[in-house]
Amino acid sequence: MNNKPGALPEEGTNNGMDLSRRRFFQLAGGIAGAGLVLSAASCRRTPPSDTYVGEGDIALLNYLYILKQVTVNFYAQAVATPYYGITKEETVLQIDLRDQEVVHREYLKKILSTNAVKDITTQLSAVTFADKKSFLTHACTLEDLTVAAYAGVLKVLKNNELILTIAKMASVDARHAGYVHDILAHNSFGPLDNNGLDAVVAPLKGFQTMQQYIETKFDTSKLPTY
Amino acid sequence: MNFKNIITEIEKTDPEVYERLSGRREALKNFGSKVALAALPFAIGSMFQKAYGKTTDAVVDALNLALEFEYMEYTYYRQGTNTTGLINPTDLAGFKSMEAQEKAHINFLNTTITALGGIPFKPNNFTAATTVAPYVPAAYDFTMGGVYQPFDDYKTFLLLAQVFEDTGLHAIQGQMQTFLSNNAVLTQAFQLQAAEARHAAFVRHIRRIAPISAPEEPAPWITNNIPPTIPFQSYYLSEDKVEYNGVIALNLPNPYYNNGQTPQVSATAAFDEGYDKTKILSLIKPFKK
Repeated sequence: MNNKPGALPEEGTNNGMDLSRRRFFQLAGGIAGAGLVLSAASCRRTPPSDTYVGEGDIALLNYLYILKQVTVNFYAQAVATPYYGITKEETVLQIDLRDQEVVHREYLKKILSTNAVKDITTQLSAVTFADKKSFLTHACTLEDLTVAAYAGVLKVLKNNELILTIAKMASVDARHAGYVHDILAHNSFGPLDNNGLDAVVAPLKGFQTMQQYIETKFDTSKLPTY
Repeated sequence: MNFKNIITEIEKTDPEVYERLSGRREALKNFGSKVALAALPFAIGSMFQKAYGKTTDAVVDALNLALEFEYMEYTYYRQGTNTTGLINPTDLAGFKSMEAQEKAHINFLNTTITALGGIPFKPNNFTAATTVAPYVPAAYDFTMGGVYQPFDDYKTFLLLAQVFEDTGLHAIQGQMQTFLSNNAVLTQAFQLQAAEARHAAFVRHIRRIAPISAPEEPAPWITNNIPPTIPFQSYYLSEDKVEYNGVIALNLPNPYYNNGQTPQVSATAAFDEGYDKTKILSLIKPFKK
């Protein structure tokens, strides 16, 4: 696949790095893409022109597609450099999470076809993957955001057939959200309101929230929002 | 009487009113001047009836199906949390939260349905005067005709909880097509579905890990169409579907595997499915009195 995440090393079944070295990179505070951290810190590059996400439904689908790219990279890194004390069950389920997010990412990419944005560089250095609490806190942020983002595009997304498929993905992402909340703090379910309902986030606000995990800058001037 | 103002007012709460009335915006704005004044009330009446009448009935019907599940789940959890020694103490807080959230859903759906001019669903044997509403144990047979004893055995309690949560999700999912006609309700259906999916994940995860360690090793999500036990296979049919809008999820690439392909377990688990109302009602019938 030509959609290699920019901030991640190539990960096969075994990338050759032993666990202790992987963890060293984690504790050093960066994700494995150390070059990315350096370039960000050493000099302020002239930013390339912002990536245009399109307009209308395309912009909304690109928004979800970008969010999925972040989530895939996030779980892929977690699988590559698992947190201390991870159980066998958690290891298995973490791979499930990654692979289901890959399905969602690739599905949206396929639907977007040539309109899919390219060259996303994620920025996950805020996450300490070796630390269970850090990883799970960010996992909750990403999954909660995803769930709220789906609900938040409905007001402006026109394609009903896609809405019906997105509903099927949203339900699974809410399962993800429930799971990561539960292993972070057993018996907790996440941000439900007084009606027991999940959250909704308007597209632009959701975009701004996910930007904390992305180095790439986007032109969202035509993103439908409210 | 100013027709344009009426439409403008409606537009404030329903931005799609013009589309709903299936005409062009400008044409509708000029509507008043083109119709004989005496005929106007009839014209408006039939126009709104056409635009809102049928679809609102369908939306209410769909919300009532969700409400039926909420009553069943609330009653199930309340009975469970009030059965001393049933629920593992480490999980009790979670079940109490779910109980409270299902109750909130009942109130929310009652309010929404009433606001839409509909009549909220009531469980069988629902008698507000003699029941601690919305707790209606008289409406249900959670033993499924004596086969299961969910309030005597935690494993059985969890098994049925999983079936109810997953089936409740199938029910909401199956009504999404109907909710498309009302954007506000559609959004709320997503919010409701997400909360229920969190519940399903919670229950399924407890079943997976020790001390329960259910033999089929359920993940928080539904893998292929694997039921918790064989008698519940019909509650999970079609969960192994992999084709959506002409895209076959199985054929999507996954760079983390040597063969570059998406595993079937991921392709099936990445999407939840919906069942129509007839099927849903047949699935919960054995639990109703």
